[in-house]
Amino acid sequence: MNNVTQIVQRVRQAPWRIQRQWIGLFLLGLVLMAMVAGIYLNVTVRATLAGRESISLQSMITTNQRINADLETQLAGLISIGSMQERADTMGFQPASPTDITFVAVPGYVAQSAVDLSMPGVTKPAVPIILPEYTESWFDYFINQQASSATAGVQP
Amino acid sequence: MKRLPNAWRYLSATFVLAVLGVAILVQIVRIQNSPEVAGVIDQGNYVWKDFYPPRGEIYDRHGSLLAGNKTVYEVGLDMTVKPDMPTVMLALQMSGFDLNEVNYRISQVPANQYIILDDFVSADKADQLMALQKVAHGDPTGKNLDAIYFKAHYGRSYPENDLASNVLGFVTEDNHGYMGVEEKYDNILAGIPVRIPVPADPRRATEYPTIPPGQTIILTIDREIQSAVENILDKALANTGASSGTIVVMDPRTGEILAMSSTPRLNLNDYQSIKTVFPGETPFNRAISQAYEPGSVAKILTMAGALDSGVVKPDTVTFVPQFIVVGGFKIFNWDGGAWGYQDMTGCLANSLNVCLAWVSDREMGSASFYSYMQRFGLGHATGIDLAQEASGRLKLPGDGDWTPVELGTNAFGQGVSVTPIQLVMAASALANNGQMVYPHILYAQIQDGKQNNTKTQIVGTPISANTAHTMSDMLANALESESSTALVPGYRIAGKTGTAQIPLAGGGYDQNNVNASFIGWGPVDDPRFLVYIWLEKPQTNKAASVVVAPIFKQVVEKLVVLLDIPPDAIRLQMIGR
Repeated sequence: MNNVTQIVQRVRQAPWRIQRQWIGLFLLGLVLMAMVAGIYLNVTVRATLAGRESISLQSMITTNQRINADLETQLAGLISIGSMQERADTMGFQPASPTDITFVAVPGYVAQSAVDLSMPGVTKPAVPIILPEYTESWFDYFINQQASSATAGVQP
Repeated sequence: MKRLPNAWRYLSATFVLAVLGVAILVQIVRIQNSPEVAGVIDQGNYVWKDFYPPRGEIYDRHGSLLAGNKTVYEVGLDMTVKPDMPTVMLALQMSGFDLNEVNYRISQVPANQYIILDDFVSADKADQLMALQKVAHGDPTGKNLDAIYFKAHYGRSYPENDLASNVLGFVTEDNHGYMGVEEKYDNILAGIPVRIPVPADPRRATEYPTIPPGQTIILTIDREIQSAVENILDKALANTGASSGTIVVMDPRTGEILAMSSTPRLNLNDYQSIKTVFPGETPFNRAISQAYEPGSVAKILTMAGALDSGVVKPDTVTFVPQFIVVGGFKIFNWDGGAWGYQDMTGCLANSLNVCLAWVSDREMGSASFYSYMQRFGLGHATGIDLAQEASGRLKLPGDGDWTPVELGTNAFGQGVSVTPIQLVMAASALANNGQMVYPHILYAQIQDGKQNNTKTQIVGTPISANTAHTMSDMLANALESESSTALVPGYRIAGKTGTAQIPLAGGGYDQNNVNASFIGWGPVDDPRFLVYIWLEKPQTNKAASVVVAPIFKQVVEKLVVLLDIPPDAIRLQMIGR
């Protein structure tokens, strides 16, 4: 029995075993670091791609807004008073004079009024879409948490 | 328990690591909250970028675009990559760039920098250069155009070119509005540019702030009426040889300006030619910026004041001699003759200076006369929402340069200077039941999708409703009695001509030229329009009744069609139903 105990004792205290334990610990640390680095890299890449896409989308929005403005102005040019008069002349129309017009009473007819360009549903986009949770640091988070808990504790 | 022999080493290492860890944490907290971090923004991690909102659009009252935006380009050249200059210059020449200007710009910037070759380059021109750049890209000899950069941004565009140019004004390359509506409403049209730090690191990409665009505005102008009025004015100038002209059309019930035309006009897409089109001191918009002695059209204000104060009635008869002495000076009728007994309608119909001087001097007196003139707004700017308005001049007793004779001459529009818009505003009291309306050009503005319409403002009630109706009747009768060429069959119109001498800078009056005017409104029982016409120095004939009255008729013939106003008989019949 003593012999067995001594052998175990020796094996446990053997230099190669101690070295192996140290190597094992080192490798474990390395693996942990690699995991953390991998996760960090993954998150960073995804954040970068999302950021690039965001910038690209914002650029597209700006470009589209400009294209819309261009098209609107081009359309206005095509239906400008000069263009329309030219087309009307080409098609054989003539400006009406008071004597050319016959007025007919139409019950319920509402005369043309000025334009209404109001756009129901359009509201002022004042609230940021990106929540602070996505942008704040750990320190900001803890400080905010502390501030909010402190505020919650205050009785009015 | 036996203590390990090297325990002190482990404890020391643990202590050092713990201190190091705490030091790192402290350092992280310190850095995050230190002012240096803010400085990092300026050290290249962020790029300050200006975001210019698109300028607000301008529409006419029926939604036709009068001023919008279009894409233009800033074209630049990156000299740091040492581009092949002969190739670049050839491409620029082929795309229509001014090489002299390009060379000048290159010479103004130190070598190896980014140079702006041109700005506000049209899309067509830029597209041409982009196509060349595409063709030359990847040239094995290095003769490419890769160093040319294009930066798109907004530029102003006016689809109707010179239509209503005197009202609209224009926007220069620095995004500032000048003249007209563009200047008056520059602050709301331009929006607010925002300068924000954009992170160079895409991981730090953040939401851009929402930049509200400039507000869209709607004008009271009706482009159909505006176009018709401009055409009529152009023809009138060609036919009469007048040096300039102005026509204003207003709704006397609301003060909305339906059309405002003045010569010359500017193609707003080529605003750089303003100095050629408007040489010297030429006003951009005579309707609001050029004060002049209106002559007999001002008699309607004198007579309105006299009727309202009760000193005369329409059937008051007076003897109109060849002249009347006021302040020691003789005042003559326009023809120098005596007109015998005349009632007040006759005085207006025959535009008798002596009669009106008698009314102001003998019947009203200076206090009453000038009180009415001030109540009509003479001598003060109307406050119309257009830039560069002049106020005219009404000299008052007590002013250093006022003389007693002016009580007589002012009664028929001499010795007093007004702008067309002032007379339009004053006359609105006669056409609108005694209530004088504020003339305005802004119909509505759009903010956050909501349209806010401009409300009608009554700026005063210089005369009673009864006086206004009486005046309208008298003026309509006066036109009918003289079978005026201003009359439009089927419509009862009130109006008055004015032929005024032009004062010379050194004193006295120009014997060869006159200002010919006409002011009128209709239909008399329910006025929908008020028209003011002024021709400066007509050459074919000096009498306003000959040169301007027919123009008024042309304008009204267009208005009744475009505003859907049936002839009086039909309209009253419809109302009766």
